[in-house]
Formats: sequence, C-alpha cells, structure tokens
Amino acid sequence: MFIRIEKGAAVPISRQIAEQIRAQCLAGQLEPGARLPSVRQLAHELAVNQNTILRVYERLAAENLLEMRHGEGTFVSASLPLHELATQKMKFAEEITRLIRQGFMLGFSRGDLRTMIDDALDSPETKTSSAGVRYD
Amino acid sequence: MTNEVALSIRDLHKSYGRHHVLKGVSLELPKGQTLALLGRNGAGKTTLIKSIVGLLKPDQGAIRVCNLDPQSNAVELRRHIGYLAEDQQMFGWMTVEQLIRFVGAFYRDWDHALAAQYLQQLQLEPDKKIKQLSKGNAIRLGLLLALAHRPEVVILDDPALALDPIMRKEFNRDLVAHLQDIGSTILYSSHLLAEVEPVADCIAILHEGKIARYATTNKLREDVKRMVFPTEYASEVLAQFPIIQFQNHGRDASVVVEDAPAATCILQEWEVPYQTVDLNLDEIFEAYVTDRMDSIPTMNTAG
Repeated sequence: MFIRIEKGAAVPISRQIAEQIRAQCLAGQLEPGARLPSVRQLAHELAVNQNTILRVYERLAAENLLEMRHGEGTFVSASLPLHELATQKMKFAEEITRLIRQGFMLGFSRGDLRTMIDDALDSPETKTSSAGVRYD
Repeated sequence: MTNEVALSIRDLHKSYGRHHVLKGVSLELPKGQTLALLGRNGAGKTTLIKSIVGLLKPDQGAIRVCNLDPQSNAVELRRHIGYLAEDQQMFGWMTVEQLIRFVGAFYRDWDHALAAQYLQQLQLEPDKKIKQLSKGNAIRLGLLLALAHRPEVVILDDPALALDPIMRKEFNRDLVAHLQDIGSTILYSSHLLAEVEPVADCIAILHEGKIARYATTNKLREDVKRMVFPTEYASEVLAQFPIIQFQNHGRDASVVVEDAPAATCILQEWEVPYQTVDLNLDEIFEAYVTDRMDSIPTMNTAG
C-alpha cells in the first residue's frame, strides 16, 4: 500500500491517509479481503503517531470499507459499499460542473475549456501511480 | 489509553529580574500522550521545560511530574524522567561507548541491554569519538542517554532543530517507533510545525508567557479556521464570536476563529455569505502568536 503524506498541508494528515486508503479500496487497487499493514507497521513506515493511524482505520471501518478483526488485523472489507463509489463518482461529476462554470465566469470559451481538458489528459502530472494506470 | 496524569502544571510564574517570562502557565498531560510545545523564541519554552525537570525554581505555582515535585524530589524525579537539553554538552574526547558507561553509572535503573539495543537500532558506532559525531547522531546519542533508564516521562527541548530534513523524519520515526510504541509520555518543544503534526497527540501554544491554546492536534485543526465574508458585515459579525486574527482585504474580510463550528452557526443564523478555509499548522500558530488585527471599517475603533 503506497501512501504519500504532504507535510504542512492545509489538509490534516489523518484526512490525507484516510482519503488515499479509501480511494485505493474503491478503485480496486486494494482488493477485498486484502490485509492492511498493522497500525504499528504503518505508523513506523509513515513516521506518524499510532493513534492517528488507529483513528483512520476505525473511521474507515465505520464506513464499512475496512474490517478490523480482533487479534487478526485489519482487512479490506469483503463486501465493499459500492454506493460509496457511486457517491464519489457523483461528487466528481459535480466538481467538474463547478469547474466549468468557474471557467465560463473567467471568460473561457467552450473550445478553450476542451483544449484545457485535452491538455490535462495528456499531461504527465495527471498520470496516477503505475498500479492504477490502465492502458487501452 | 488511561486518564492518569503524567504531568501537571498549575499557575506557574517565573521572572528573571524584572522580566516576567512565565505568567501563569497551566497544563495537564495524560500518561502515554505526546505533547508538542510550540512558541516563538523567547516565549518561555526552555524556562518551562527547565522548571519541569527541576533545573529552575519557579516563583509561584505547582508542578507534578509522575506525582513528584521537581524541587523537593529532584533526585527521585531523575529516575522517572529522561531529558534532552537544547544545548546538550557532551565530553568530546570520549567514545560513544565510554560516554554511555559514564552516564549509566549515575542511574540505579540503567538498562545496559536496552542501551545496547538502542545503540544498534539508532545505528551509532560505539568506537566513534563524540566530537566526530554528526549533529544527527549526537542527538540520537542524547536520546539514548535520556532513555536507557526506561523513564516514564521524556522531555526533549527542541531536539530536531539542528537536523536536516531527512534526519528530522528519521527523528520522528525514532519517536514513534521507540517511544510511543512503549507508551512513554513525551513533551517536546519545536519550531518545525510541519514535523510536529504527524507525531503529536496534542499541542500547546505558548505565547508571551501564557498558554494561548492547548488542544489535541485534531481538535486544533477542526476548530481554528479562516472564514471569509464581505467586509460590510464585519462590524456586526465580529462582536458575536472570539477571533484571533482579522484582516481587511477591501471588499472581503477574513477572520481566524478559535471555534469554527460555533462561528459557522452564527454566520448561518445571520445569513452572512461566507467561505471557510482550512489552515495548516503554520497558519494556526501564526494566528495565535502574531498581532494581526486590522481596523474594522464602518465602525469607530476607539480604544
């Protein structure tokens, strides 16, 4: 499991970790039933307080994304809440709408916006980590 | 997690001549928690730390560390705390191993096996002369010396200051892996706010000799936010809730509030259009320790 922490960011570290694990579960990079590193292991690896990791695992378990089995460890839930994925996708669509509206307000034309989206699609910066890239 | 208190400070005052450094500091740290003490230079961090470890006698107030008074139980206290000073002086001509044996002799509970284990884990070379150690390794040695008697409370005065970014992360990892892992209570001061957030359970901001805010790291980030709204609402809104920073940007005004959920309720009730902005720890700290109060328009700011 790869997690990247941006220190000094306005997004609290607990939220950064939770969002990345959530995204990896929902995108299938972490497969249902897969075992996550222990709280202690992940805390050591990321050099982050164990209580922070524990709270993240507990929160994601409450969302039914993870399953914490006493004495066994933490696993990706076997039955992922797929409505959660649907919600995330819907939020994403809303975000795009909002961005386009903002673009029009700034005076960009439809063509300008299309070019910008195409450029962004081709930009190396928008490539996700290798595990998530699908070539078609 | 227990609710047992490892460290408690009540209304602590300390002056150097006419300079009043600590003006009524109160703190309570539960066992097993890591507290980061933040403050600008001269805020009183080192004075507070030296009072806690019994090196300074406060003028007024009470300190209990592991239920001991640092002034009357100084020797007993030494067995329970590990202390790494800001300007740790070590004998440069000794080797690492010699210094460990020398310091260990002062402690009844010194654990030679643990010291040897740290020596290995912290990758220190026993035959190296102290004066030849890098800053990072000197601090690691200081940590080892502060920890090998298995103290319940560990107090570190700005340990990461002299470290480069890679070593700071290593230092954080040492704290998480070697101290938090065994349930130590830790109090450490720092200037490096981005390094503090991943590690600290709670944060105390010391400003002008007083604790300006003491909260868990999470709560601090949830509570202290910037709110932006049209300047025309400033005078009526600002009287409603406590703010720690006000900036007039012309058409818009921004405030930093101490209790964002409460402020949000009021702004919604008053139907003020507003935006909430998350702050990083640097910005939160800055809001507490700098005086940024622009004058409020459409209102006389007399007094």
